[in-house]
Amino acid sequence: MALSFKLLHSVFLSSRSHRQNALHPLLGPLLTDCISKLYSSYRRPGTSPDNTPPWKMNFSFEKGVDGIKKHFGLLKKELVNHWIGPEGYRLDEYMLEQTRVVWEFRSQKDLDEWVVSSDAEIGGKSEAYLKLGKNNQTALLYGTLNTEAPRDGETRYSGYCSMRAKLPKGAFETKKYYDWSNFNSLYLRIRGDGRPWMINVFTDPFFSHQKNDLYNYFMFTRGGPYWQEIKIPFSKFFLSSQGRIQDNQYPLWLDKIRTVGFTLGDKADGPFQLEIDFIGLLNDRAHTEEFAYEKYERNPKV
Amino acid sequence: MTPYTNMIIIPSLIMGPLLTISSNHWILAWTGLEISTLAVIPLMAQQHHPRAIEAAIKYFLIQAAASTLILFSSITNAWTLGQWDIMQMSNTVSCTILTTALAIKLGLAPFHFWLPEVLQGTTTMMAMILTTWQKLAPLSLLVMTAQSLNTPLLLMLGLTSTIIGGWGGLNQTQLRKIMAFSSIAHLGWMITILTLSIKLMLITFYIYIIMTMTMFTMMKLLETNKISTTMMSWTKLPTMNTMMMLTLMSLAGLPPLTGFMPKWLILQELTKQNMIIIATMLALSSLLSLFFYLRISYYSTITLPPNPINFSKQWRHKINQKPYLAMLTTLSITLMPITPALMTTT
Repeated sequence: MALSFKLLHSVFLSSRSHRQNALHPLLGPLLTDCISKLYSSYRRPGTSPDNTPPWKMNFSFEKGVDGIKKHFGLLKKELVNHWIGPEGYRLDEYMLEQTRVVWEFRSQKDLDEWVVSSDAEIGGKSEAYLKLGKNNQTALLYGTLNTEAPRDGETRYSGYCSMRAKLPKGAFETKKYYDWSNFNSLYLRIRGDGRPWMINVFTDPFFSHQKNDLYNYFMFTRGGPYWQEIKIPFSKFFLSSQGRIQDNQYPLWLDKIRTVGFTLGDKADGPFQLEIDFIGLLNDRAHTEEFAYEKYERNPKV
Repeated sequence: MTPYTNMIIIPSLIMGPLLTISSNHWILAWTGLEISTLAVIPLMAQQHHPRAIEAAIKYFLIQAAASTLILFSSITNAWTLGQWDIMQMSNTVSCTILTTALAIKLGLAPFHFWLPEVLQGTTTMMAMILTTWQKLAPLSLLVMTAQSLNTPLLLMLGLTSTIIGGWGGLNQTQLRKIMAFSSIAHLGWMITILTLSIKLMLITFYIYIIMTMTMFTMMKLLETNKISTTMMSWTKLPTMNTMMMLTLMSLAGLPPLTGFMPKWLILQELTKQNMIIIATMLALSSLLSLFFYLRISYYSTITLPPNPINFSKQWRHKINQKPYLAMLTTLSITLMPITPALMTTT
């Protein structure tokens, strides 16, 4: 929604918390206006670097107490879930399930799990908003794409917008991963407007050298008034880092996945719309491909 | 990897722990540890998959940090006592730091967090080498310094390891992570009995190596890494399916299989030394491990899967034989009646 976009914009512009990452797990509940930028802060091209000292924080006691209660509650839930089975499901349910709906859009709370961004962060003119569709049954991502590049001397291309699920967090802001190893395809029910989208799966590796690694694949929307059910096998996802497709391709491992996102950057100015009913997983018994790309090193060093 | 690199790396991997075992001087022992760490790193990251590289980096950092601590403790010992002999390590601070460092190297709780991730990121055979061969050097150092180590600390490490090995493996579905937690639990049993009876610790270690090698070889033959793909093992190798169940029960320590022998003897020794509470807690925590071993055997042997798994990797393309599997399986299942003979060998 416009509100989430404005919030992102304002938090980004006012985030002074880039140096507090090491302290964040301890002081997180006490900090108010701080989004957790995990590895480094993003500097908008064309602006001067941010030199605020790290001791300038906003303390709030009530939020601290709420945060502590919330985190201990999550910790207790995690321990109970550990006893029940993997990710809180019982093991026989986990073994036998063939489909699972991961993200549904039925209320504002579901929308708050997603982050919408566009090239307005680098000074471009695209806009993107997320709102609930009719009867609160779907989510509608809409906006306008504008490929005019910002005039800051650094940026050459522009014109993209994206929607990404927020990183799931466990108790005390620990990283929580999804285990999708029982499934082999992504199943989406969407209604687009004919534009080609790109789906990104982020596996959030441990070391920050690989923090820009994403597994991508395309999603072509049909544009009609009918709903489109897209099945994308995970074997088709290719590895890219910071947008560049890697020469040496490796299959996507499904046991540690953090988020999924959609990106639109098809160099066509104008409005766009994408209506999403749900995003789920499927264990397609008819799909036998292990990995769609060649696994050997394509430019071997002799 | 090319034959040239293999010619360098595999002898280094073999020689590293052997150097540590056969040394009397701390520097040579440390050198052997470092050689084994460095030799295993390229083997782990052979495929350059991002997760394999992550596992290799994590393994290297942990092992290097632990080696540093070992060197530090030996240097402190040499500084206060004037000699570098491994068998005569008597400075208490050095012994404590050494115990901690070797616990980090072995993956004992509370320093176990790296082991499941590292085993998950590597191939099956490399995971086997990491859990069996790479434990040889640190355990030999523990054996050599056993008389000067702090028993309560070792008991605490051992008890925590068995409990965490059981608790952590409870809802894992990836087999390599399950084997990691099984390794943590078994090492906990070994560490508990170290200062009380070195012979028992060595018996436990040898039997653990046999059972773990059996399990990993079976996993390699079935080309399976998750419980859900183990469900199809009855179509591929039915006899081995049954043997896998027996091996898992042996790992869990059920009589009359081999794995019961070390547990029984350790509990007997602890009871003789009047450490009843620790013995009880060890026995109870092995129930947690039993649960996840039983779970794997339930899904692989006892129940039939609802539908087939049709990755072509799961089909048998070629006759894939490991001739040593029969011997390993026999050893890991039937060794208990000759316990008295084993007690005299070590």
